[in-house]
Amino acid sequence: MRNSGAVLILSFIAKLISQAAGVSAPGKPRLTSCRSPEKETFTCWWEPGDDGGLPTTYALYYHLENSETIYECPDYRTAGDNSCFFNKNDTSLWVNYNITVVATNALGKNISDPVEVDVAYIVQPNTPENVTAVVVDEDQGPFVRVSWEKPRTADTRSGWITLQYQLRVKQKKDKEWEEYDAGMQKYYNVFSLHPDKEFMVQVRCKPDHGFWSEWTQTTYVKMPDYIPRERSLWIMITIFSVFIVLILTWTLNVKRNSVKLCLLPPVPGPKIKGFDKQLLKSGKSEEVFNSLVIQGFPPTIDYDDLLVEYLEVYDNEEQELVLDSKDLSEDCMKSKSPSDCDSGRGSCDSRTLLLEKCMVGREGSRSDQHQYSQHGETSWASTESSECQGLEPGSPEFSDGRVKTWPVVFSSPQPHHHYQVEAVKPVYHSVPEILNHSSPHAMPANYQNLQHQDIPQQEGRFGKPACRHSQSYTHGLDTPAPGVSPSRSLEYVEVQRINPENMLLLRPLSDQNREPEGSDYAGEDYSKVKELTSNNILLLQRDTSYQCADGYSQAGQCTTQQPPHPCKPVIYQSHSGMPQEGMRVMGNGYVDTTVLMPSY
Amino acid sequence: LSLWAVAVLLVALLCLDPHSRVSSAPICTHGPSGCHVPSLADLFDRVIQHSARMHSLSNDLHSEFEQYFLPSKNSIGKIYRKCHTSSILTPNGKENAQKLAREELTEVILKLLMAWRDPLFQLHQSMAHQQDFNSFSSNKALEMGDMAHELRKGVEKVAEKMRVLGMLGNSVTGLSAAETMLPISDSGEAMSNYELLYCFRRDSNKVQNYLKILKCRIVPEHDC
Repeated sequence: MRNSGAVLILSFIAKLISQAAGVSAPGKPRLTSCRSPEKETFTCWWEPGDDGGLPTTYALYYHLENSETIYECPDYRTAGDNSCFFNKNDTSLWVNYNITVVATNALGKNISDPVEVDVAYIVQPNTPENVTAVVVDEDQGPFVRVSWEKPRTADTRSGWITLQYQLRVKQKKDKEWEEYDAGMQKYYNVFSLHPDKEFMVQVRCKPDHGFWSEWTQTTYVKMPDYIPRERSLWIMITIFSVFIVLILTWTLNVKRNSVKLCLLPPVPGPKIKGFDKQLLKSGKSEEVFNSLVIQGFPPTIDYDDLLVEYLEVYDNEEQELVLDSKDLSEDCMKSKSPSDCDSGRGSCDSRTLLLEKCMVGREGSRSDQHQYSQHGETSWASTESSECQGLEPGSPEFSDGRVKTWPVVFSSPQPHHHYQVEAVKPVYHSVPEILNHSSPHAMPANYQNLQHQDIPQQEGRFGKPACRHSQSYTHGLDTPAPGVSPSRSLEYVEVQRINPENMLLLRPLSDQNREPEGSDYAGEDYSKVKELTSNNILLLQRDTSYQCADGYSQAGQCTTQQPPHPCKPVIYQSHSGMPQEGMRVMGNGYVDTTVLMPSY
Repeated sequence: LSLWAVAVLLVALLCLDPHSRVSSAPICTHGPSGCHVPSLADLFDRVIQHSARMHSLSNDLHSEFEQYFLPSKNSIGKIYRKCHTSSILTPNGKENAQKLAREELTEVILKLLMAWRDPLFQLHQSMAHQQDFNSFSSNKALEMGDMAHELRKGVEKVAEKMRVLGMLGNSVTGLSAAETMLPISDSGEAMSNYELLYCFRRDSNKVQNYLKILKCRIVPEHDC
């Protein structure tokens, strides 16, 4: 006890003295790496710690896995300072080595951390040897052939080690190396090096499972001055492009016309009726423009004459179909045509379904409410009076509740002869629409309350083929369409009543032979609807109309206005309040209450 | 349209490399008559490539393990158990390997491969069941097992070929069923996945090396 105590005290004092003197036990050494160049031997290096100011010795000890026997390093010299070299006899593959280094000096020792090493996995070969770079001159141009040899120590011959190689090239001034993988071969051809420049070449190698070796010393090679002649490539490119060009040319040639069409789209020529390009070219502008002049345009229509006297009321489509199916010739049946939606006239999308019916050939008179005369005249819900003759121009005075709706169909004052000769298209206008519109120009002269009418309800409404009547209206008075006699045997319907659904129920006037007695006659029977008020009331106008005896007294008034399109008759209302004589609803003669303006 | 087709055809013909045509080889049923039978060198090459792939797979799996499950390499706490194949005497150096006769070397290879048939299957099973591994890893394990199996078959073929060519004596004994080993360590416990991987990585490296030595000894034409 006393001895140990004395020893302790002594060591403590020694430590103090040594610390005062600046010496101490060595610091911990550290094993830095172990490497095997050929998988047969290996070397471990360590880093000494602080030596504590005293001469320190280092010793390396190891033991194999699962074995307790500790061996010391067999060779401290071969590999240099602070290293331990294991020769072939001491090297076993696929066995873990547990290695430690011990640093010892006068004051103590220190042991490094142990390191586990399996030699098979620490292989780092030596650098390749005898690197040569030779310029080889060939047709395509010179290139550099780099060749080398395996590191001497590696035994690839027996298959013990398999090495793969890598080389890198750069010019002196370049920063980056160009790397190439050479696989297991011992040469490599480097192409595309710039002429007249010096290049640096280096090679290294690696085993299949291991570390890369160091790069070899730089080998220099100088490329000769040459002009790159990549002839074959250019020849190929030229041939190819010529080929393509030929094909394209041929294709273009074949498709000449469509190409022309594509590149130079034809400029649409003027399409003016009556315009003769040749005349224009010949320079005689007078003649050219003369041909464009339409006689009689603009129609000098007295607005008064264009008073729309009558509002044609047509059945709606379904009813019409139902009613007229047997009467109309099938082939004349036409459905509503929406084509003239952009004329601004009429209502393409109004509720009023315009059913154009072809009235051509309608012979039989209708005893039913449609009232077609035996001549094919159609009875008009309004005083269609397409026939000027047949009607009394004059203010339709509606005294007994008969309402005459005027056809508003005015088309351009073209020769009316071509107004639907072939197609008499009645237009049917549903009553509700009429009633809901009000004419801006209306001057309610007469106020008729239709609801007072006690006329027995006619079945449905009337449809009438306005066109039929229109035919009679031409300035030139062309032959009216067959079946349409511009006689007065027009039938007119009178409004019987207005049913709850805001529909004008009309019935034909019974006497067909009423003679127009003059200008006022029409006024007796018919009144011009001046205004459609909102409360389903037709405001009629009492006005005096002058007679349109021959139907054409007023230049414009009696003209049948042809609708621009059968489905777009417009309501025409005279501003002056004069009755017009035959308002004829052309063609479809349907009244479009949305537009109350004269249209030509 | 036909013009374009013709043009395309012409271009294709221009670009075709007449030397790159692939010809099919007939299946050889009657030996060398008119058939291209793979030579021993070819067989060796195939087998060596196969073993290289197998080893690289095992290397990948092992590093994955180390990376994710064992944070520190060279840790003192590493416990090494003996691999179950340690009872097989294998040369642990180049000289030792070269001292062995061809037959013995071949036998060692076959023994090693045989010993790993079942353990690899177990490894895959246990990896597939554990949640820790993603499917990629367990697929690798499965692939590894298959490769070991195929490699064994390939080496057997090589041995057969060598025997036919008279290079191999008849001293190569067939593997008996008693040779199959279970990966049980000294302590009697089953080895962990990591230990299995560690051992297999090493053994696959051995197999690859031995095959290369055998090849360069028997057919040293190229790559040697």
